[in-house]
Amino acid sequence: MSASIEITNVTKRYGALTVLSDISLAISAGEFIVFLGPSGCGKSTLLRMIAGLEDVTEGTISVDGVRVDTLPPGKRGVAMVFQSYALYPHMTVAQNMSFGLENIGVAKAEIEKRVRFAADTLEIAHLLDRKPQKLSGGQRQRVAIGRAIVKEPKAFLFDEPLSNLDAALRGRTRLELAQLHGRLGSTMVFVTHDQVEAMTLADRIVIMQDRRIEQIGTPMEVYRRPATRFVAAFVGSPAMNFIPIRDAVMNGDRLSIDTAGLGTVSVPLHLPPGFSPEGAELGIRAEDVSVAAAGAPGIALTAEVIERLGDRTLIYGHLEDGTKMTVEADGRNATRPGDRLTIVLDTSALHLFDKTGAAHHPEGD
Amino acid sequence: MSTENTTYRPESLTANRPLLWIAAFLSILMMAPVAWIVGLSIKSNQDLMLGTETVFQLPYTIANYINILHSSQAFGWFFNSLVVACGQTLGVLVLSSLAGYAFARLEFPWRRTLFVIVLFGLAVPEQAVIIARHQMFNWFGLHNSYIGLILPNLSSAFGVFLMTQFFRAIPKEIDEAALLDNASQFRIFWKIMLPLTLPAQATLGIFTFLYAWNDYWWPLISATRKEMFTLTIGIASSQTNFAQSEGLGFLSAQAVFASLPVLIVYLIFQRHIVTAVSGGAVK
Amino acid sequence: MAESYRRSHWKNGLFVLPYLSVFVVLLVFPLAWGVWLSLHKVDLFGPGRFVGLNNYVRVLADPVFLQALRNSVVFVAFSVPTLVVLGLFLALALNRTTRATSFFRGLFFSSSVLSVTIVTLIWRFVFIPGDGLMAVLFEQVGLPPIGFLSTSGWSLFSVGVATVWWCLGLPMMLFLAALQQIPSDLYEAAALDNASPLRVLTRITLPSIARTIMLVAIIQIVMQFQLFGQAQLMTNGGPNGTSRPLVMYIYEVGFVRWDVGKAAAASEILFLIILCAAMAQYVIATRKPEASE
Repeated sequence: MSASIEITNVTKRYGALTVLSDISLAISAGEFIVFLGPSGCGKSTLLRMIAGLEDVTEGTISVDGVRVDTLPPGKRGVAMVFQSYALYPHMTVAQNMSFGLENIGVAKAEIEKRVRFAADTLEIAHLLDRKPQKLSGGQRQRVAIGRAIVKEPKAFLFDEPLSNLDAALRGRTRLELAQLHGRLGSTMVFVTHDQVEAMTLADRIVIMQDRRIEQIGTPMEVYRRPATRFVAAFVGSPAMNFIPIRDAVMNGDRLSIDTAGLGTVSVPLHLPPGFSPEGAELGIRAEDVSVAAAGAPGIALTAEVIERLGDRTLIYGHLEDGTKMTVEADGRNATRPGDRLTIVLDTSALHLFDKTGAAHHPEGD
Repeated sequence: MSTENTTYRPESLTANRPLLWIAAFLSILMMAPVAWIVGLSIKSNQDLMLGTETVFQLPYTIANYINILHSSQAFGWFFNSLVVACGQTLGVLVLSSLAGYAFARLEFPWRRTLFVIVLFGLAVPEQAVIIARHQMFNWFGLHNSYIGLILPNLSSAFGVFLMTQFFRAIPKEIDEAALLDNASQFRIFWKIMLPLTLPAQATLGIFTFLYAWNDYWWPLISATRKEMFTLTIGIASSQTNFAQSEGLGFLSAQAVFASLPVLIVYLIFQRHIVTAVSGGAVK
Repeated sequence: MAESYRRSHWKNGLFVLPYLSVFVVLLVFPLAWGVWLSLHKVDLFGPGRFVGLNNYVRVLADPVFLQALRNSVVFVAFSVPTLVVLGLFLALALNRTTRATSFFRGLFFSSSVLSVTIVTLIWRFVFIPGDGLMAVLFEQVGLPPIGFLSTSGWSLFSVGVATVWWCLGLPMMLFLAALQQIPSDLYEAAALDNASPLRVLTRITLPSIARTIMLVAIIQIVMQFQLFGQAQLMTNGGPNGTSRPLVMYIYEVGFVRWDVGKAAAASEILFLIILCAAMAQYVIATRKPEASE
């Protein structure tokens, strides 16, 4: 069972403080949606508003075409997995999973069948008679998911469910969640501040910041064509390089951009209408900057800090005018701090951000 | 402080040896009156008539305790105390748990204001309301009844305050999960929150029981008929004809007998009582 | 358009309704009724007559009341510092978890669970002339006997001794709870700074629990102003009212002489005194702990 979710013009205020302002979002049935953003951006609040744990100040929320923001949490047909798992400490695993079904009067045999199915799916059948404090973190996490599965909800809501697991377990659980989504085909809404989780799990990512949605898109769209400077800076590691520009003029069908750090760069981009170079920046990811052979034409960079990651090497340095720049080189690169390098940019991967933060990308990609 | 090669301890002035010895000495002073009364209780009244210094000599007897068994009155008072203390404990637990849960977890109009007003109730001493209460209970003929003895302390705000603190300590996600599991507010309270606060219920329950058992002021005014006395009042009443009819040994035995229930409760539930007194006042 | 679901609902208030009704009927109403009574001339028969502040004037002009007020103030002035100092000392001495300290803690607190009747019974057997423990001891040492319960001055002192014995456990426990909240890295930092034990006590331990010391003092002021049972049972206020506290005055006026209006007025005065202390307690309890963490 899966359902679409429509969030229409939703605003959340605590007294005079606005936490979310005029949010609209349509989630298709069966979609895996991730809310991504820094802490305090309102992503958890939005999820909790779908669940009914926070009041909706203005606007409406519908599940499967039926308005639910008028209903109490239990009647909305959604299930939630909490960051702390929130298992009932005094109940066994089986009781934890059946509590919600008992509340709506599901027949005993049916409850048993669903608990059995969920336990088998999650490989926790041998834990059914244990109490939560006898379980490991990973096992608790599975029980929390199992408690959601048995309800056969219209949508699953996950509030940072992986953040209490250690790194290895987090990676494995991530994969299993993806598999679970494939198997159940349910609508899932997942909140995280971890971009790796967002990139690997999501059909579409909703990037939020400062009460608003910055961009909605597939992981590759968000990465390759960030809608705003914030998205460009937030997604991707290491963070995108930003170079202030002095002037930009059309030169044939390419845009000729003058910068202090890089000199003049020619980009396959049309000058956006009403564009002003004041406060605008060029952006380029470290992976789109490469180290050229010594003596080749290019831009000079002085290396400051070298991070060797094994498969690749990150070189943090500065340009002639002092602009900071990160370059990705291959794992065998032997640069040392203080070395002067020549770098080359992939101009088709340059992004232009105007003063408001709005992005302009080269065609294609 | 010492020159020996001992492992370093950070809190070197607290809990060090000399202080501990002084505390031990104070504890002897503390116990002396108790030892004295226990000593008196196991001497026959005839021996004590010759002078109480005979306490330090044989023979000893348990005759005074056997006499208590024959005095039906003490047992009646004991039973009254039991009914009143249990009734009050049950009432306080029910009222405080319901109210504490709502104040800690639910939202309703005027919640904050009501909570502040209830907290204000903590500052009202019994003496400020005693005259009016006595009149009210007179109107309804509640004096010299169990209900009359149980009711007044149910209004104490202490339990509500304590339970609110305990409910607040439970992670909020647990009741949110139950809310999403389509449980009604009362079902969440009954099936989830109440079981999770059992240790807190024990703490408040034992505290209330002891308080009710020891209460002196209200039963003194309300229970004027001898057969409705609580043990506390009963013992006080037999003190007034002090050392005349019953004798020192018998009165001592009565005191020891009356303090046994609370001391046993205290020994078993010491931890809960300490939690209640320190949790209620600090923080 | 339909209203969105709100978590706040008047039905949730039903959970507080049972307590609130008891609270209003047995506390709020009597409180107001007590004020009404204090402004009326009431006796056991017939309705009261409004007399304004006359009852208060009668109380304040009553030498017995003034004597009781003085007794209460003197009692508080001596018993509260004793309780605070002794309680603090015991807490410092027992602030470590060993078998011995937990035994002593349990012992010092055990007297607090006894009822006032037992406590006074125990202490009367200590103080009574001739047969009491003190009398026996004095005789052994060869000192002249003292009428602890029947001499003015000594009687209030004896009540105080019994009270300190009875109430010592609570301050000790509160101080222990406060001491245990001092972060141990403070002591470790002090040790690295070469602080002497005395300096650790005066510069770290005591400042860290300064708020608790104030709180305990005020709690004890409130409690000791309500002194009643010990005095009534041990000395019955005697001799000549020199050990009669305020609450006993209220009891005698209200329930022995049945002068209800006057007793109500006296109890309102006591309420005012205690309310001031309680307000101080509230202010201190809600004030942000300064410096310490």
